[in-house]
Amino acid sequence: MGGLKEVLYYMFHPNQLRAIIQWKVWHEPVHERDITKEAPTLQSCFKFLNMTSRSFSVVIQELNHEMLIPIALFYLTLRGLDTIEDDMTISASVKEPMLREFYKNLKKDGWTFDGNGPDEKDRELLVHFDDVVAEMKKLKQNYYSIIEDITVKMGNGMADYAINAEFQSGVVTVAEYEKYCHYVAGLVGEGLTRLFVEGGYANPALLERMELTESMGQSYRSRRFWPQDIWSKYVDKWEDLFDPKYRTEAVHCSSEMVLNALKHADECLFYMAGIKEQSVFNFVAIPQTMAIATIDLVFQNPKIFHSHIKITKGDACRLMTESTQNLRLVCDVFRRYTRRIALKNDPRDPHYLEISMALGKLEQFIETLFPTQNVKNVKALHAEKVNESTSSGDLWESLMLVAAVLFFLLLVSALMLGAAWAMGARWDTLLNGGVASSVEEAAKITAKITHGEL
Amino acid sequence: MAPIEQPLLGRVLVIGGCGFLGHHVVNILLRDWKCEVSVVDLKCQRNRRPASDGVEYVEADITDGDGLLKVFGRLKPDVVIHTASPPAQGAGAISNEIFYKVNVEGTRAVIAACQKNDVKALVYTSSASVISDNKSDLINANEEYPVIRGKLQSEYYSETKAHAEQLVLEANRAQDSELLTTAIRPSGIFGEGDIQLVYHAIAVYRGGNDKVQVGLNANMFDFTYVENIAHAHLLAARALLVTHASKTQPLDHEKVDGEAFLVSNGSPVYFWDMMRSIWREAGSPRGTDHAWVMSRDVGLILGYLSECFASLLRRQPTLTRQRIIYSTMTRYYDISKARRRLGYEPLVSLNEGVKRAVKWTLEQEKSVKP
Repeated sequence: MGGLKEVLYYMFHPNQLRAIIQWKVWHEPVHERDITKEAPTLQSCFKFLNMTSRSFSVVIQELNHEMLIPIALFYLTLRGLDTIEDDMTISASVKEPMLREFYKNLKKDGWTFDGNGPDEKDRELLVHFDDVVAEMKKLKQNYYSIIEDITVKMGNGMADYAINAEFQSGVVTVAEYEKYCHYVAGLVGEGLTRLFVEGGYANPALLERMELTESMGQSYRSRRFWPQDIWSKYVDKWEDLFDPKYRTEAVHCSSEMVLNALKHADECLFYMAGIKEQSVFNFVAIPQTMAIATIDLVFQNPKIFHSHIKITKGDACRLMTESTQNLRLVCDVFRRYTRRIALKNDPRDPHYLEISMALGKLEQFIETLFPTQNVKNVKALHAEKVNESTSSGDLWESLMLVAAVLFFLLLVSALMLGAAWAMGARWDTLLNGGVASSVEEAAKITAKITHGEL
Repeated sequence: MAPIEQPLLGRVLVIGGCGFLGHHVVNILLRDWKCEVSVVDLKCQRNRRPASDGVEYVEADITDGDGLLKVFGRLKPDVVIHTASPPAQGAGAISNEIFYKVNVEGTRAVIAACQKNDVKALVYTSSASVISDNKSDLINANEEYPVIRGKLQSEYYSETKAHAEQLVLEANRAQDSELLTTAIRPSGIFGEGDIQLVYHAIAVYRGGNDKVQVGLNANMFDFTYVENIAHAHLLAARALLVTHASKTQPLDHEKVDGEAFLVSNGSPVYFWDMMRSIWREAGSPRGTDHAWVMSRDVGLILGYLSECFASLLRRQPTLTRQRIIYSTMTRYYDISKARRRLGYEPLVSLNEGVKRAVKWTLEQEKSVKP
C-alpha cells in the first residue's frame, strides 16, 4: 500500500521525483573512501558512524582523504561522550568522573565500555571503542590534540550538567539547559573549524569569529528546544503550546523562534565563504540549506504542534544537489527560501516587521557577496544616457535625413510632371474628362434600358 | 574616527530647526551633545522647545542673503546643520519655483554666510533620491553611484537637492575659507512630525485601499526613522570639527569633509511589508489573505487613466504612475561608508520607529478632531 501511495504521489509531483532521480544519477561524490586500503579497525569505525549518525555519515564519507578520518573520529568521540551522558542507568557519581576523564581513554589501547544500559542506542560503539582508539593513535598529532582538547572541554561541560541535574532530582531549568546546548554547539563548531583550518581547508579568520562557528555546531544536535523565556511570553504552561485553544499564541511563539534563527542565517553564509575545498564546503553547506528549508516549513505552520512534519524527499534531494556546487548556488537557495518565508509573513504576527527586517538583512548580505548591480556598469550606462541627452543631435540628424529624402522625391516627381506637361500631356481629360465621360456614358446606357422597357 | 566620549559641538545653528527633521536634530542636540543651540526658520511657532532649554529661535528667510548674513554675524555659529527644504511632494510650476528658490538659492546663501562668518562645519541634508532616476532599481547602491541630474532626473525636487549638494560639497575648503562641508543623503525618512510617508500610508488604510497590493512585493525599500538621520548629521558635524582642529588632512578612506553619505536604518524591507506594519500599528485587523495582487502593468494603466481623469477635473490625482513605480521598484542602499567613516549605527530600530511614528500620527488625528 505504501508503494502505491508513493507512486501516486510522484505521479502528481513529478518535480519531486525529478529531483530525487537527479541527485541519485548525477551526484558524484567529490571523494570516495577506498575500502581496500582501510584497516579493519577503520572499517569498523565507519560501520559505527553509519549506525550512530545516519544523516552525517554520508557527507562525512565524501570528505577529502585528509579530513575524512579526523572528522569521523571527532564525531565518534563526541558520540561516545553522549552515550555516557544520556544513559540514565548510570548514576551521576559514576558518570561525572567518567565524563571528565573520557579524553584519557582515547590513548588507552583496547579501551572499551560495556556498562551502558541495554536500551542505550549507541551502546555498541562503546563496546567496541578500542577500534576508535586504534585509529586515534594513527592520527596526525595536530588533529589528535584538537580532538582531545574539545573532548576535555565537552566532558567537563557534560559533567557539570550531570551533577547539577542530579541535585535537582532530574528537573533541569530551561535556562541551564539552553546554556548547555549553547556550550555543546559552540564546542562542536569550534572543533570542526579548527580541524578545517588545520588541514588548510578553511580561512583561519573564521577562528576569530566564534559566534559563526557556533551556528555550524548547531546542526550537530537537532534537538528542538524552545527556551522558557520565549514560550512563557505566549502561554503559561509548556503543554498549552499543543492545545488547539492556544493555536494562535503557539504560532506566534514559533515565529519568534524563526526570527531568532533567521538572524543568524547571514553568518552561516559568511562561514561558508571561508571554506576553500569542495568536499568540506558540501559538508558545511548541506545542513545549512536544510536548516533554512526547515525554517520555511515550520513558519506560520500550525501543523508543527500536532503532527510530525519534515522536508519532502524530493526537496531534500534538490537541496543536496544545490548545496554541493558553490556558494553562489547556496546563496540562490537562501534567497529562494527568503522569498518563500516572506510570502507567509502575516501582519498580525507580533514579529511581522522584525522577520521582514531579518529577511531583508539576509538578502542584502547576499547582495554584498554577489552583487546584482555593478557600479562600473551603472556608471557606464549613466554616461551613455548623459551623452544621448546632451547631444540630442542623433534625433536631429535623422530628421534631416528624412527631410532630404522627401525633398528629392518631390523634386523628381515635379520634374517628371513638368516634362510631361511641356511635351503636351493633357491633364484635363485625365482629371475632369475621364470621370465626366464615364458618368455620361452610364447615363446613356440607363436611358437605353429604361426606354427599351417602355 | 573621533572619540565621542565628550561630545562637544560648540555653538550649533540648525537651519529649518522647527521643521520635521530639524526639530529632531534640536532634540538630539539637547539630549546627547554638549553645545549651545540656535535655530533659524521661516516661522518658529511649531515644534518649539520650551524656553527653559535655552534654544535661541530666530525667524529669517534663507533666500534673503543679507538678512541671513546679519543673523550669522550675531549668532557666530561653529557648526551649521542645514535641514531646511520644502516638502518633496507636489508638482507644478509654483512648487518647482519654490524648490529652486529654497534648495538652490537658499543653500547658496547659507554657504556664503558660513564662509563670511568663519563657520567651521556645514552639514547639509541632501536626499538619497539624488542617485535615483525614479524608475531604475537601486540594489544595495552606494555613494559611487552617479548623481542623476538634468533631463535624466524626472523629479525636479531631487534635481534641486542634487544641485544644492554639489554647491555644498564644492564649498569644502574653498575660497581661502576654512569651512568644511559634508552632505547626508537620507532615504525614506519617517517619524514623529512626518506628514508624508506614515500620514499617507494611514490615509490609504482609512480609505480602504489597503486591499490592493501592486506588484509581487519582492522589492525592498530603505526607510529611515528620523532620529537616526538626525544622529548621523551630528556625527558628521563632530567628524568635521575634529578634521578642522587637526593640522593634517585626513586620508582618503577616512575623509568626511567634501563627502556625501547615504544614511538609512540599515534594514531594507519589502515595500508592502512596511505599509502593512504601519496599517497594523494603526489598528488594521487584517492579514494578507484579503489583499488583491495587481500587476505592475495594470497599475501603470490605472495610474495613467487616473492622471488623465484628474487633469480633466483639474485636480491632483490620487493614483499616479510614479506612485505605482515607487511601490514596485527596488531601492535600498549600502550604508557601510557612513558606518565606517562616521561611526554611524541607527539608534532606533525600524520597528520601534514605526510604533513611535504611528502613535504620533494617531494622536495628531485625535487632537485635530476634538
